[in-house]
Amino acid sequence: MRDAAASAMAPLRLVAARRRWDLPGALMAVVIAIVTGLLIYGAADTSGFLTVSNLKAILTATSLVGIISVGMTAIMISGNLFSLSVGQTAAVTATMFLYALRVDLTVAIAAGIALGLGIGAVQGGIVGFLGANTIIITIGAGLLQEGLATWMTNGNSVVPPSGSSSYTHLALPLFGVPFAIYVFFAVAIVAEFVLRKTRFGRQLYLMGENRSAAHAAGLPTALLTTGAFALAGACTGLAGVLIGAASANGSLLLEGTYTYDAIAATLVGGNAVGGGRGSVARTVVGALFIATISDLLLLRGYSTGIQILVKGIIVAVVVVLTNLRRGR
Amino acid sequence: MSTRSHPQDGPPTPFVEVEGLTKSYGAIQALRDVSLSIPAGEVHGVCGHNGAGKSTLVKCLVGLTRPDSGVIRVDGQAVHLHGPQDAQSHGIAIVDQELSLVPALSVEDNIFLGGIDVPMRHHRSALRRRARDLLDSLGLSHVPLNAPVERLLIGERQLVEVARLLARDARLLILDEPTATLSTTEIERVFAAVRELVAQGRSVIFVSHRLGEVFEICHRVTVFRDGERVATHAIGELDRPALVKLMLGEMEGAPSVTPIEDHHSARTVAMRIGHLNVPGRVRDFSLTVHRGEIVGLAGQVGSGASEVLRALGGLIPGATGACEVAGRPARLRRPMAAVEAGVLYVPSDRQGEGLFLHKPVEQNLTVIRLRWISRFGLLLGRRSRALATELAARVDVARDRLGAPAAELSGGNQQKVLLGRVLARSGTAVLALDEPTRGVDVGGRGDIHRLIRDETRTGIAVIFSSTELDEVLDLADTVVTMFEGSIVSIVPRAQANSASVLEDMTTRRAPAETVPA
Repeated sequence: MRDAAASAMAPLRLVAARRRWDLPGALMAVVIAIVTGLLIYGAADTSGFLTVSNLKAILTATSLVGIISVGMTAIMISGNLFSLSVGQTAAVTATMFLYALRVDLTVAIAAGIALGLGIGAVQGGIVGFLGANTIIITIGAGLLQEGLATWMTNGNSVVPPSGSSSYTHLALPLFGVPFAIYVFFAVAIVAEFVLRKTRFGRQLYLMGENRSAAHAAGLPTALLTTGAFALAGACTGLAGVLIGAASANGSLLLEGTYTYDAIAATLVGGNAVGGGRGSVARTVVGALFIATISDLLLLRGYSTGIQILVKGIIVAVVVVLTNLRRGR
Repeated sequence: MSTRSHPQDGPPTPFVEVEGLTKSYGAIQALRDVSLSIPAGEVHGVCGHNGAGKSTLVKCLVGLTRPDSGVIRVDGQAVHLHGPQDAQSHGIAIVDQELSLVPALSVEDNIFLGGIDVPMRHHRSALRRRARDLLDSLGLSHVPLNAPVERLLIGERQLVEVARLLARDARLLILDEPTATLSTTEIERVFAAVRELVAQGRSVIFVSHRLGEVFEICHRVTVFRDGERVATHAIGELDRPALVKLMLGEMEGAPSVTPIEDHHSARTVAMRIGHLNVPGRVRDFSLTVHRGEIVGLAGQVGSGASEVLRALGGLIPGATGACEVAGRPARLRRPMAAVEAGVLYVPSDRQGEGLFLHKPVEQNLTVIRLRWISRFGLLLGRRSRALATELAARVDVARDRLGAPAAELSGGNQQKVLLGRVLARSGTAVLALDEPTRGVDVGGRGDIHRLIRDETRTGIAVIFSSTELDEVLDLADTVVTMFEGSIVSIVPRAQANSASVLEDMTTRRAPAETVPA
């Protein structure tokens, strides 16, 4: 019922508006043209931008956030906005991964992903079956994860067992390309397939489009919400495994800015905040776009402050324009 | 009802005049050179099929769209209307087909929302008195001013919308399908209000698919077809067949009334409902529906008929009672359980609860049968298309619309898609159709009735609700009338007539009230 008021305002009006001069559409085109121009100019003008190693750097920066964003996309499409605790989940699963290395690498990977999936499923279950508010539940879950993690590790960071080195393969390049990039693209392709070609995916889109209609048509809305969060949790767990392997030092510090970066990538890709419309491909583009801009600013020597500012402006502009365009 | 009178004798002074209005959307010519004049004190009917140009004319008059050419004159002055507020300042206001109330706000706030004549500094109590009077005059005396609109039934909301319009003190009121969701007695209230307004010298444009109402309330009627004004007549010069002929052109006649057949003579029970109760809405509803039978629940808005169907569809978790489908007890706690038990509910709120408006027609048609069009959880594109094509053909929606978003279809076609998704499905025992033709034009209505009738030939039972007498008498084999949550009477169609049904819809059952004090 987020925009019940808006949608109750005669749809006639929207139709009439759409037929007129599409101002937001034109604005969007202008913005895209300007940004593309700046990118081309920046690319040509910045030494070191158009090099293989820099492109690799961009992709590497994209991949971890990207994997989490792919999961976030499933939540957004299902009409449940977004999760505000994926950063914590990534840190917790990374720590779990490093701890479970004491057993075996395969077990550790499975444990990281399974823990992420479980954390997501519990939040999704509470939102879906009890009708709780996504924002509140995910913020709460984030605090809970921080608390539990700190308590269980006594506030110490978790390091891999001495002598273990098998995990380092996850952090090393394969054929000259960082392993995480392969994982990112594989996850994106699989997730896009799941969303487009499976019954589960179709149901997520329909539920995001109109939850009461989905309910009336007998779709299992509570279960679907659980599924969307579980999928996001599993993606985050997978990212957590890679993050843990790269840092070899598990603590809550690994949380970083993953939560907001993932939300930003999903939004900049142009996925509908309200659900029902969007795709993983959009999110991938969004993540790559943000990483490219950040990289360019970095190479040109702008301060961190400016980088964050620009990121913020991009998110704001894209979100405003996409929402204007949709007329809701 | 005999109070219809033409307001003045001399030549009428046109209040609003339209001359040479033309509007096109891309290749579609929505209005061609339309001229019209509405004198003060007239109720002017506007009739025509879906897509005839009625809505476009209305949109031009309230400033929602700008005509390509042509003039609109108010009191002889040419005006350019830039939006509803602007139109309102010229005395033109509209009650929309789609409600434009804010669900979370109170009835009172909704009535005065957007009213430009409400001063910034105003006395709340005076406004409140005025709102109360308006509601009372529309028969909403039981509705408290501070009740949020979302708690009202849809028919009550419509009346609040009418009240809001009356509060705006407009001189030309446009009622766009105002009665589509109202029950017979509520329509009378609206008509009474309209007559009152006309007596005060205001004018009304009355857009309606319901010809009976046009004859009852309008002084003159203008018929549109394909964007053109076909004719304007004083209502006395026309009869029903003549009006239908004007609307349809020469191509086809009036839709015929569905023949009533007694083909469910086998009398196998499809569904038995025992002592269904919905707190505050339905009391002790028991009914047996046979295979192939169409049961019509006739009742005003608030009679509980809709809630019976919602409960069958699993949408009211607090409902109690027993239900047996095809001999097996069924627990209809959730919509999923209802679908599995073979009870398929089709909601009355087409856009809110029925369709996925921005999704293609194909996805809307297949949503109930996702399991059938997939294997191991993977969607089978070809199977989905085949199913959608078959259903589209059955409900007569053009095949090339399968990829279009449902929002782009006309209201009638949207309703057909909504119905289509539950048709021809094995495992269905009962269809529960809540107001199956709300807001659909005459032709579309006949089509939908035929589809429902055809569906029962395979033994499927239908139970539908309607606030419209005509619909119940056209479609039902058995007429169940409800009043204030209880069944008043159950009669075979052959023994029912409009007078008896109308009486039962509006009266409390006498013997049931003998409760010891």
